[in-house]
Amino acid sequence: MVVETEIYKKLHDLSERIRHLLTNSVTVSIEPENLLCSIECNVDALPVVCKQLVSRIGLSFATMIVEESNEEWLIQYVFYSSRIHILVNVMVRQEIDNPSFPSMSSIVHALDWQEREAEDLFGIVFEGHPVLGDFVLHEEWPEGVNPMRRTFRPEMPYPHKETRPEWQPRRILQEPGAFMMPIGPIFSGISESAHFLLETVGEDVVRSIPRFFYKYRGVEKIAEGKHPMEVVLLAERFAGTSAFAHSLAFCHAVESIAGVEVPERAVQIRILFAEFERFRHHISCIEAICNSTGLAVAASQAAILEEEALRLSCEFAGHRYLFGLNIPGGLSKDLSKEDCTGLLKRTDNILKRLDRLYKMLQYSSSFLDRLEEVGIICTEDAIDYGLVGPVARASGVCNDIRKALPYKGYENVEFSVPCETEGDGYARLRVFFQEAFQSVMIMSQTIERLSDEPIYIPIKDYPEGSAIGWVEAPAGAAFHYVRIDSRGRVIRYRLTTPSFTNWHGFHLAAEGFAFQDFPIILATFGLSIAESDR
Amino acid sequence: MSKWVLKGLETGVKTTVYPEKTETASGVTQGRPERLELLKDKRSVVNICPTGAFKINKNIYEIDLTRCIHCLRCLRSPEFPPAGWTGDYEWAFSVSEKTMKGPFSHCLHIRVVDGGACRACLCEISQTGAPYYNIHRLGFFITPTPRAADVLMVAGPVTDHMRFPLKEAYEAMPEPRAVVAVGTCALSGGIFGRSFASSGGVSEILPVDIAIPGCPPPPLAIIHGLLILTGRRPSLSVIDKPESRRKDK
Amino acid sequence: MDISLLFEVFFIFSAGSIVMGLFLSDRRSPVFLAFTASISSILLLWLSGESLFTGQTLHGEFYRISSLSVLSYSIDRLSSLFMFITALVYLPVSIYSAGYLKKYPGRYRLTTFSVLYHLLFVSIVLILTAADVVTFLLSWEVMSITCYLLVNYEYDKEENIRSGLLMLTMSEAGFLAVTVGFLILAKGAGSLDFASLRLNSQKLGDTSLWVSFMLFLIGFGVKAGLVPVNAWLPRAYASAPSNFSAILSGATLNLGIYGIIRINAEILQSVTHGTGVVVLVAGSVSALVGILYAVTEDDMKRMLAHSSIENSGIILTGLGAGLVFRETGHYVLAGIAFIASLYHMVNHSLFKTLLFLGAGGIELKTTTRSMNRLGGIFKLMPWTGLFFLVGAISIAALPPFNGFVSEWLSFQSLLQASALRSVPVKVAFALSGAMLALTAGLAVTCFVKAFSMSFLGIARSEDARRAVELPFRMKLPMGFLALLCLISGILPTYIIPVIDTATAPLSHQSVVDELVPPFFQLSDGSTKFSKEFISDFHDLGAQVGKDILPGRGLVVLHRGTEKNPVVYAMSTSYTIVVLILLIGAVYITANILTRKRKVTIRTCWNGGLRQLLPEMTYTATGFSNPVRVIFSAIFRPSIVRDTRTIFSSRFRAAIMRERKEIHIVDRLFIQPVLKAFRTTARLAASMHTGSVNIYAMYVIISLVLVLIVGEFI
Repeated sequence: MVVETEIYKKLHDLSERIRHLLTNSVTVSIEPENLLCSIECNVDALPVVCKQLVSRIGLSFATMIVEESNEEWLIQYVFYSSRIHILVNVMVRQEIDNPSFPSMSSIVHALDWQEREAEDLFGIVFEGHPVLGDFVLHEEWPEGVNPMRRTFRPEMPYPHKETRPEWQPRRILQEPGAFMMPIGPIFSGISESAHFLLETVGEDVVRSIPRFFYKYRGVEKIAEGKHPMEVVLLAERFAGTSAFAHSLAFCHAVESIAGVEVPERAVQIRILFAEFERFRHHISCIEAICNSTGLAVAASQAAILEEEALRLSCEFAGHRYLFGLNIPGGLSKDLSKEDCTGLLKRTDNILKRLDRLYKMLQYSSSFLDRLEEVGIICTEDAIDYGLVGPVARASGVCNDIRKALPYKGYENVEFSVPCETEGDGYARLRVFFQEAFQSVMIMSQTIERLSDEPIYIPIKDYPEGSAIGWVEAPAGAAFHYVRIDSRGRVIRYRLTTPSFTNWHGFHLAAEGFAFQDFPIILATFGLSIAESDR
Repeated sequence: MSKWVLKGLETGVKTTVYPEKTETASGVTQGRPERLELLKDKRSVVNICPTGAFKINKNIYEIDLTRCIHCLRCLRSPEFPPAGWTGDYEWAFSVSEKTMKGPFSHCLHIRVVDGGACRACLCEISQTGAPYYNIHRLGFFITPTPRAADVLMVAGPVTDHMRFPLKEAYEAMPEPRAVVAVGTCALSGGIFGRSFASSGGVSEILPVDIAIPGCPPPPLAIIHGLLILTGRRPSLSVIDKPESRRKDK
Repeated sequence: MDISLLFEVFFIFSAGSIVMGLFLSDRRSPVFLAFTASISSILLLWLSGESLFTGQTLHGEFYRISSLSVLSYSIDRLSSLFMFITALVYLPVSIYSAGYLKKYPGRYRLTTFSVLYHLLFVSIVLILTAADVVTFLLSWEVMSITCYLLVNYEYDKEENIRSGLLMLTMSEAGFLAVTVGFLILAKGAGSLDFASLRLNSQKLGDTSLWVSFMLFLIGFGVKAGLVPVNAWLPRAYASAPSNFSAILSGATLNLGIYGIIRINAEILQSVTHGTGVVVLVAGSVSALVGILYAVTEDDMKRMLAHSSIENSGIILTGLGAGLVFRETGHYVLAGIAFIASLYHMVNHSLFKTLLFLGAGGIELKTTTRSMNRLGGIFKLMPWTGLFFLVGAISIAALPPFNGFVSEWLSFQSLLQASALRSVPVKVAFALSGAMLALTAGLAVTCFVKAFSMSFLGIARSEDARRAVELPFRMKLPMGFLALLCLISGILPTYIIPVIDTATAPLSHQSVVDELVPPFFQLSDGSTKFSKEFISDFHDLGAQVGKDILPGRGLVVLHRGTEKNPVVYAMSTSYTIVVLILLIGAVYITANILTRKRKVTIRTCWNGGLRQLLPEMTYTATGFSNPVRVIFSAIFRPSIVRDTRTIFSSRFRAAIMRERKEIHIVDRLFIQPVLKAFRTTARLAASMHTGSVNIYAMYVIISLVLVLIVGEFI
């Protein structure tokens, strides 16, 4: 109870401060049980509210949620405070036949892509946004058809524009002889599909324009009308390399709607696997970095470790990528005590070899030459773009959702958030290594205090309601917003993934560096396009 | 640099014994459901399957592997018969009976195209090139350009936006060419199914020759698929092969 | 035939053409020009060919100015070699002009062009035949002014006016330097004809000789495009009409070389203290600077102009090496170096003319010279493309075309530095060799860029998409030059002896036997070589194909008199035979192998893009940017500024990148000179106070100074 009153006090202080800062045009309410402070305001007051929240109170942007109901549009701008560990939700409404909101992207630059996405998918006009269109939906998609609208039926392939669609990329570099270097959508050996246009006059990349959503599978749309037990399958399969984290975030949201308190043991084992997934994910990123620099032996070593981690997952969780483990209410599989110690012991073994690899890499000058001072993102940019995860932490933004908004179980774990300030490729590599080490530490702490409770509590029915679930996915903060209707079906599922957030800032790192650094910068970001494209 | 050479030597040989022998290490595969004979009162387990991979054939429940997304719900249901799950990995099968023998059997170049995969399939494909599986020893190579590729390996349900690039890649390939669909998504759309954004499988776009089910298929299953294509291993037995999808293309 | 008659006919015909040209309408002018100038060129070819191949010489007087001087002429093999090349350039350019000048009527007076064109031809011939200082200087001045007028032909363009004036200024400055040089020489000789200048040059002191040598080098260097007096060259070449650019590069650039050979190498033979090294170093620096700017240039004509500087540098490097060898008494090596130098000059005239004609044709049909805006015109202009490719391969010094032969010879003669004693000179040779090697490599980059960015890929502008093939009268001269490039590439063994006859007086020795030894003609018992020596060669395979191959085919570089001859040999004549056989064999094999296979054409792989847009392909600037980055110390862009226009804090609307590079010569030479002038002028201006008393004082001071100075002299 002490904790709750503390939260209540903080929330109350915050709401008072917001009331004080802003005029009477806003209504502020607080929900201590959800760590939430809600602000209702009208469209005109929105810029002032956002500005005050970001610049005066120092909140970080989390996600933007657009919802369409029968009579109105509702946009929720969700911010969080890493200092006092609460969420702030700004709600703006507009009549249904007036889909027009002021663009906030010049105040909160992290909203840039969010608004472009909403414009494509909902047909909402964000007044004042300089570059709208051609984002999620590419040139062959007919104008004016917005797949996220309620009236849109997602089941069948949609007819496309008949004529050969023309696509003209927007060029901004004006210098005689400037050209664009196209990369992708199908490029290099085994790569995810995405398209990068590098504007250049040769040698140096002056501007890089990523073009994503080649892999757009409409996850948010096809989740609508499904039972949470089905949606959880989508949540883990839209980004296979961080499946556990995303299904966990979804479960958090759904459990919070259902008002279910998951048993302690399930919470602990969830942490165990979430950290194990992070561990494996980071090894995979390290392998990609070694590969991009052409250091074959190191890449092979990392691949060996990754495969061993995958085999461990399969042995103890039944699936190499931890699919099918998380279900709303807990976990589908329990671990015995021997399993836990076995898992930890063998993870430790991998960790030791990873440490050796780290030391060897630190003394390979030819390797470091390719990483150091390459792909730099400065702290200021990282804050403006709202970058998250290892990328932000390598740029001096020491922000981790596990600390900023401690979710279930993480309040009780001791760990440090590795942070570097250089913002270059090498800093990101170090963050990857150190986070992998921290993850194993968290795993061992969790196993020590594993409680004897059931692993699963069945959720009988889902009440109407909405909630946000968040998790520090391997690539950074992920926010899952779920709204469930009276039939117990999901009617709105909003995914804000760390890859989406960080790809937005990717161009900062790629610009100003030579062509040949591009694959290396790409690898040091350790991002998944599947996770971004959804 | 010599330390890296030593490091490599110190690590020793890690490569799997497959296909000469059976790989027995634990964790190389999540296994798959097999044909089931279910008791009358336990048939409700079939309804658990979120993608409808169970098919009734008289008293026997067949598994449509192209639909199984490895959610493991049937396995973890208390009603599931203990013998219904097999821990093998040789579950790829040939759809068109096409093989690439002769000069290709030990020198096959593969262009991997991501048609909207969740990345797990791609990770497993890249694992096949890593020391533990090392497909190069079998004469399979990943190539960056379809101009030099014999096999187009597609993962993912083929999203709306990837249809065109995928076709382009196929068009750019010289004859003879084969298409290998990797993963349940590439075979039936998997969890994403058919929708405005997903074609629901490669076979909607291109003629598929080899199907490698699984979500994701483990590296050994992918190798098995390639070995079938080169005629070096038999395909999964015909009974397990779902009739319906064979006639698709 | 008597060449004096031809000589007279040439002048009479040219004078007639000039007079007739004055009265022709603009419509008829191009054809008339093509016709008369071609006949003039054929006459000159005949004349100089007679002289070059038979060795006929001609001396005489034009006019005697009783009190002052005699205007005299003299034709020897050296001047006839230059005349021959000039005619070889003029002939195709004249035919080409018939088509090219069609773009002018209505805008500019073609009569002017026609008259100036003939006048320039005559003045060039006069320079090449002048046998005394006055004739030489007079015709030089006529040539300079005509060139200026022709460069400024499109007189209403700001850029042309600027480059024309710069050209005029610099060539007049060069003229001044040459005049002063002649005055110094004439003071010593007491006469104005070249023969007596040569005979009496020893009478002058070392310092005077050195000073005059440098004055001549600078003066002629202006025309030859020598660093640091070449600032006008890229600008003027780019401004001039393309057919005239070809003349500038193919004929008038040679005049600078001619001046250096005639005066510095022939008349000033007695200067022996390191003058060769000066020419060598200046040449190799010019070559490197020229090619560096050529690589990074995207304007096709400017690129060719910078490349002219480079080639002129290579020619002068050979010349410098020859001078050094001659000073040290290695006459054979000197002969080889001179041959290399002049061979390269011949080649440069041929391929550069070809390339300028190609560039002119492209400009005519696409209205752009920027390679960034071209692309993909090979399909539209296949013949032009083919001939341009021949020119590009030749200039990039790739076998079997002519550039390879002369650059091979130049490198080989530089490698012979081991024969020298002085260590600093050896170092200079080594550095020049290295610079030349770098130049050769960059030249390949440059012309790969020039050809691929203009002719291959996708059209990057609407202009390039509209291109059509040139008419026959413009293709024919290019084909002719391309053929000459091939012939002079595969038959060096027949051209070297001809050049040798012209350079032999310079090097005091004919080197035909050293360079293209007649192994096939000689029996083993030849007296020229010892038996062992010949058998050595036979062991090396020199007699291979003796019975089946016709004539000479081997260019060798050997030191026949020494015990262990250092031998380098190459044969483009045989290479081409082997090359053709190989290609034929591959073609036949491929045909046999694929006889039964169906050829399918698949789509171009571009990564799965829906459409590869023209702006997604490499531009010339992009292609050459790595060179710019690597040599940033030389280019040293004075301004690189990204101006970003933004919508709001983080949204960029445009990035305007400014880059201003000042040519290294302008930066290190022209600007300081101008600055010094300005400062001096400002100081002088401050003397003008306006007070009469002060001026009176200046008068007194200068009087006193003059008296003092006069006292001492």
